[in-house]
Amino acid sequence: MTATAPATLESLLEVSGVTKRYPGVLAVDDVSLSLESGQIVGLVGKNGAGKSTLIKIIAGAEHADEGHLQLNGEPLELHRPHDATDAGLAFVHQDLQDVGDLSVAENVMMGLGYPRKMGLFVDWAELYRRAAEPIDRLEADIDPREPVGELSVAKQRLVMIARGLAQQAQLLVLDEPSASLTDEEIEHLFAVVRRLRDDGITVVYVSHRLEEIFELTERVIVMRNGQLVADEPTSALNRASLISHITGHEHAQTATERRASREVGGRPDTEAVLEVEGISADTGVRDCTFDVRKGEILGLGGLMGSGRTELVRAVFGADYRQEGSVRVHGREIHGNHPSESMSAGLALLPEDRKTQGNIMDFSVRNNITLASLDRHRVRPRVPAPSPRSEKQSADRRIDRLSIATPNDRQLVRLLSGGNQQKVVIAKWLEQGADVLIFDEPTIGVDVDGKEEIYDIMEELAAEGKAVVFISSEFSELVGVCHRVLVLHEGKIVGELEGDAVTEPAIVEICYSQH
Amino acid sequence: MAETNTVPVPPGSPKGGSESSRSNFDPLGFISTYGVFITLVACIVIFSVLDSDFIEIDNLRTQLGLAAPLLMLSLGLTVVLAMGDFDLSIAGTLSACAAAIVVLIVNHDWPWGLAVLVGIAFGLGIGAINGLLVSYVEMPSFITTLATFLILLGVEYMISDGRNITGAADMPDLYRDLGIGKPEPFTEFTSPVWIAAGLAIILWLLMSKTELGRYMYAIGGNSEAARLSGINVKALRALGFVIVGFVAVVAAVSQTARTASSIPRVGISLLLSAYAAAFLGAAASRKGLFNVPGTVLGVIFLQAVQSGLTILGYDRDILDISRGSILVLAMLLTALGARRR
Repeated sequence: MTATAPATLESLLEVSGVTKRYPGVLAVDDVSLSLESGQIVGLVGKNGAGKSTLIKIIAGAEHADEGHLQLNGEPLELHRPHDATDAGLAFVHQDLQDVGDLSVAENVMMGLGYPRKMGLFVDWAELYRRAAEPIDRLEADIDPREPVGELSVAKQRLVMIARGLAQQAQLLVLDEPSASLTDEEIEHLFAVVRRLRDDGITVVYVSHRLEEIFELTERVIVMRNGQLVADEPTSALNRASLISHITGHEHAQTATERRASREVGGRPDTEAVLEVEGISADTGVRDCTFDVRKGEILGLGGLMGSGRTELVRAVFGADYRQEGSVRVHGREIHGNHPSESMSAGLALLPEDRKTQGNIMDFSVRNNITLASLDRHRVRPRVPAPSPRSEKQSADRRIDRLSIATPNDRQLVRLLSGGNQQKVVIAKWLEQGADVLIFDEPTIGVDVDGKEEIYDIMEELAAEGKAVVFISSEFSELVGVCHRVLVLHEGKIVGELEGDAVTEPAIVEICYSQH
Repeated sequence: MAETNTVPVPPGSPKGGSESSRSNFDPLGFISTYGVFITLVACIVIFSVLDSDFIEIDNLRTQLGLAAPLLMLSLGLTVVLAMGDFDLSIAGTLSACAAAIVVLIVNHDWPWGLAVLVGIAFGLGIGAINGLLVSYVEMPSFITTLATFLILLGVEYMISDGRNITGAADMPDLYRDLGIGKPEPFTEFTSPVWIAAGLAIILWLLMSKTELGRYMYAIGGNSEAARLSGINVKALRALGFVIVGFVAVVAAVSQTARTASSIPRVGISLLLSAYAAAFLGAAASRKGLFNVPGTVLGVIFLQAVQSGLTILGYDRDILDISRGSILVLAMLLTALGARRR
């Protein structure tokens, strides 16, 4: 471990001995670091490592129990988020904090006071003009008059960055900025970040995607269990050493190595469990036909907006299906009701575990048993759940999936992202589905958690279940799937199987469609 | 990122422990959890000290009898509120049903049983219409039930001509017994108290002990996640409104049988108190959820304050101000508690 760069005159932000405790956990443990002007610094670590808490402290959203901050050599007292903004610190959070119904300009200038006419009326022309400045600086093709809610996620992030520029930020913290962005958009984002760095702005880049850290950053700070465990120039690290810093143990594999070591081959020679024929939906799914066999892991690849989520929602009956048929075990599912698909043995683990997967204010136990409550009755004919039976099942799932929770009565809201995802998985395992559709199960999940989710999918397949796996990180598909279908604009445009499943091959199909 | 605020799980110890937060006493947390209960006990003690009549068993009997219709309405509301819906029409259903039943019995000499059956059919019908509009047509529940509420007030006016309809002499004793009788062998309290208690037990069992209740809370927590878990969200939300319609009729019967009359707009005075009681109950629960025991507590609380202040000779103005203040206080405690969480 190299020591933190000594404080120099150019040092912009100085964090000294910052500690933050939550009931039962030391979230940030005596962290000291120093950020200089005009640097791109990667901040990495597992979920729960303390990154977000540290950022919140710098943003003034949380108060440190110990330690202090210095900005440009002056003590920095943050009592509320506004203080950080005034001091020139800007934050772009992963969940976008813009006001969708307001225009781009209103969002960019929010908190700065809008220009006025006669001291009362908003001077719209001036507002649009002022907002256009930071947007132009980002070379973003965005109309300041457009409502933010109608922009793509990538453009919304740029609007948030523009807000930071309008606030004359010296330090910009980007939290998972590349989530839900296409490759092209990510390239643009990187170009923007580099330009800001050249203008002397310090950018802290938080990401679970290590390729981005290596491509973009000059320095990497790694946190683990609330402590700062590494602070090194990016050039001094490689993928393996970075992962071992993050996880605390030595192991790192590329997707292809993983595929080879797990002996992931072609699809098994078994009967088809799920057969989808010519389905279309007004969400953009067009004439899709495929099947999944017993014991198979089928990957669905494609760029953002290629219709993967829409396809599986139509299959499950979460969205209305206009044409085509879906058969599970040869039995046709007619309706567009999740309950009918479920009783046929189909399960959908939705993309957004917060809004679609879990009841956040329910306990772990009640979430796990929610889809199979009628199997936990006190008596077979009495529709009343037996807490004892529920607890047994929940404890078994918690144990088997190693869900990190103090007990089965903990609210799901209080778990980390990876563990919330595992609760969703546990619910469907408990429900006993034969076909499990995982829609982006690893988003926001740390390195270890991702590995565990791959293992779970492989175990399920080994037990004879059929698994459908959607991911925007193609390397994940390569590491796990027997077969990969590639989608484009709601249609299946390519199929790869066995050794043909490689990252370049998936990318090739995606981009040959334009 | 969702990793921050809590996660009281030290790495490497997936289970057990982590109860450390509970060992140190947290006064604010304690007050926000038990605040409603503590205030209720404090009120009872103060009223009893100031006037010994307050704690008399006779007063208790009277007050419970008076509170019974309010309790019934509040219980019905608890079900829809738990699913995240509002039902304002409950007061309209109560008023219209009360008028209809009394007119049928007193002016048209219908057998009381038939009149009550018509009332029940009416209440279930209103509930079904609300459920259909809110759950299946996906109209917002607040404005939809406000609309049906207004319509029902008009219907009530049509039936009663806006007048009190009284007819103690024309009402069969059996019907009066539903309001003032003390059923053998439970002669301690009048029928409405027992009916309300029965309703409370049934709805408590439904909400806390059955699959349906669990599904209802799941809908209130996250209806999309509930739907994707195979729960029939639309049917259950509609069922909530039907339960409210039924409960409104039961309250109408108790009310009219007790007073032997229908008083125009009788439901309106109860409506706001019923919501206050349900919200007090949610504030009193540890998770901040609407629940049957909490609602019962809320009703008792409101009635105790009303009774105590009346005995001490305060007027309506002080009563209303006190009830409003109590509600603000309870919400304040809940909000403080939520900020700590």
